[in-house]
Amino acid sequence: MGDNDDYDDGTMDLLSVSPEVTYNWVDITSDFFKYIQDLQLGELLHDGHLFGLFEAMSAIEMMDPKMDAGMMCNRGNPKPLNFQQAVAAGKLKIDDLEPSELIGIIDATMACIVSWLEGHSLAQTVFTNLYLHQPHLIINKTLKAYCIAVYKLLDCIRDCINKAQVFEEEDFQPMGYGYRLGSNPQSGNTYDASLEVSEQRCIAMLREQEEELNKKARSGEDEANSLWSALAARIRFTRMFYQALLLITKRDSQSGADCVALLNGCSEMMKVIIKTAGKGTQPIENSDSPNPMGFEPMINQRLLPPTFPRYTRIKPRLEALQYFDEQVTRLRHAWKITSCTNFHTALDFFMEFSRQRACILSRSALQLLYLSPSPASTASLAQSGPPRPHHALLEILRDSVKNFVNPPALTPKSPVVSTPQTREFVENFLARCVRPFAVLLQVCGHNRARQRDKFALLLDEFATLQDEAESVDAVVSGAAGSGPRAYFGTWLLYHVLRVMIAYLLSGLELELYSVHEYHYIFWYLYEFLYGWLVSALGRAETLANEGTRRSDAKRGGTRKQKKRSRPYAREGLMCQVMQNMCGGYYKALVAFKLQGKIRQPQSEFDNEAVRYKHRFAPLSVLTPPQVHYHEFCEMTQPLQYENPVILYLGGCKHFQQARSLLETITTPDQEITDLLKVAKTNFVVLKLLAGGHKRDSTTPPEFDFSVHRHFPIIKLV
Amino acid sequence: MTDTGSEQPQPDTVKDIDITDGKAKLRKWLNVNFRIEMTDGRVLIGVFLCTDRDANVILGACSEYLKSSGGETEEPRVLGLVMVPGRHIVSIQIDDTNPPQKFYYDE
Repeated sequence: MGDNDDYDDGTMDLLSVSPEVTYNWVDITSDFFKYIQDLQLGELLHDGHLFGLFEAMSAIEMMDPKMDAGMMCNRGNPKPLNFQQAVAAGKLKIDDLEPSELIGIIDATMACIVSWLEGHSLAQTVFTNLYLHQPHLIINKTLKAYCIAVYKLLDCIRDCINKAQVFEEEDFQPMGYGYRLGSNPQSGNTYDASLEVSEQRCIAMLREQEEELNKKARSGEDEANSLWSALAARIRFTRMFYQALLLITKRDSQSGADCVALLNGCSEMMKVIIKTAGKGTQPIENSDSPNPMGFEPMINQRLLPPTFPRYTRIKPRLEALQYFDEQVTRLRHAWKITSCTNFHTALDFFMEFSRQRACILSRSALQLLYLSPSPASTASLAQSGPPRPHHALLEILRDSVKNFVNPPALTPKSPVVSTPQTREFVENFLARCVRPFAVLLQVCGHNRARQRDKFALLLDEFATLQDEAESVDAVVSGAAGSGPRAYFGTWLLYHVLRVMIAYLLSGLELELYSVHEYHYIFWYLYEFLYGWLVSALGRAETLANEGTRRSDAKRGGTRKQKKRSRPYAREGLMCQVMQNMCGGYYKALVAFKLQGKIRQPQSEFDNEAVRYKHRFAPLSVLTPPQVHYHEFCEMTQPLQYENPVILYLGGCKHFQQARSLLETITTPDQEITDLLKVAKTNFVVLKLLAGGHKRDSTTPPEFDFSVHRHFPIIKLV
Repeated sequence: MTDTGSEQPQPDTVKDIDITDGKAKLRKWLNVNFRIEMTDGRVLIGVFLCTDRDANVILGACSEYLKSSGGETEEPRVLGLVMVPGRHIVSIQIDDTNPPQKFYYDE
């Protein structure tokens, strides 16, 4: 350990060193092996008070390739050379690099970055690049500028992801392993703050190289200049990608057009990069190193924690470049959130974005683009104290309520707001909405598998909010002297129902339910949730129209009665489609069960009531009331004696209905087309079944989720 | 698995005394530092906590040392609780410093 212990070779020891101990080792190998023969097979010798079998189980097993990360260092390979050693041995060029070598190094680094973004550790991906250990010792200016920029870029990516807080351990590893991201102070073995490079300086360095390379491209011969311009494209991409991310991450001084232009430029450059991927040096076949020169997969192995299980394979280069290309497209798409003016469309956008299973960086970017600094920090701030007046999300929510139900309490110059008491009530309520709604946005940013549990937790928070909405509505209605109107209650109910539906559907997408459980899941959606959602939307429209009439009347009201606007027509229609789909499945499933086509659990291991309770437990909020198992039994009892043919026909009708509703939509998107395909197919299948097809077969039908993640195609085998 | 952790030696027969003799000697080594060299050349230093008939050894607060090449001593890697399978043990040494340093594995 030197005085520069933290930055020795650009690495860091993770744990403090034990104090100086002297040992006096005496060999006991043969005695030990003799004595243990006195033990019985399976008998453990240990200090019974302090150490038992339980502790023994948590030990990591040495020489097990899965558990022993240190084992890889000793595979007979010579010790990996660090930057200085590799340069001294002539294995690492720091000057006079061929353009093809530079392209190879850059492309391999991009592959490493992608591997990092897919959840691997920095130490095993990007920092296997030796050049990044000592960027200031590199003489080649292009490579030096690139390496410094990579530090900056990594820092910016990490900053963006950390701010958004929508990652879990399986998405992203934020650990830096002692590499100072954002700055790259290592020069030799010492820390030198004077080498710190600012954002502006970094961008300028890249720009300088870009011009330099373009000059070379123009002056050289054909073969050479295409190499130089391929290299220029990579430098240009790095600069623009970094600048765009900076704008997204630090949204204070943003100018939207800039970011869009930068991302478009990135897309252009990616086309060139992919086309010229073959021009760089390629990894040696069957080698773990992503490039012949500059990468040492084992260099950081000793930095890894003891139980680090994996040896990371770097993503193949072409796939990685493809990933970057798609990532830029996703970021461009995420940018569109900035034009979502109201919360309603923004929430739809978040849910739609999540459905596409975007990568962690674009999911994070979406969060930051919508709310500055991020929904996550808004939520945690709101928890520590009431948000300040005119808080961004509070205003967004206020507008959302106004648009959705148009309550008199939020209409300026309305007599209701003039009483300070009601105003305070309404403001307090909106302030308290900030946290749960910020969390809702944050949850939509998490990966699909993690969303389910988080939705369940969120429903708890919404339940307390519903209580409050009710009393606000009572106070406001009282002050206005009108009959009871559930303005805030309806607005909240709409969101609660959406979260409930998302929760139940996610179980289908994540394949959590067994087939014998499907019937009550679909029943609940069909019989209640979608129906309630339709009526919530209807009520909202009535209330909003009432509000419009109110203000019209005040303005003199001589104008002709405006046509009732139905802003949620399409959403209401989609709810009816879903409701019919669920109804179709439910009836088909009951019929399958009656005909013995669905494998049921052995009765002694089965308790439907327990399973039902478990599945719907998070739905026990204030409104809507949870439908309990005994109610389920009572309500579905009559169907147990129904003729399966009637049920199949009933299901058929539902799918038919869903289909004709879908066909009224004039601008069908992918989602609608997929649903249409499912509805059509299931209609035909149920029709066949009603006609007696395979009546006596007890082979279970298959549910194929390949067309739609929630609504399967029923297949008879 | 049988657990002899709190059992008392039972000196019934001569044979039994022999058996417990080996165990007793092993027991004396518990909570003392061991230095184990493995088949791949790595050296582990940690507190001896547990073993069985196959010489699988559990070491607590264990650190891993790479076999030093060229005299330079390398940073240890801290591993914590490890189990070394008997078949990978090349040699075992015990720390015989006076007075013996005992390291208890405490909660």
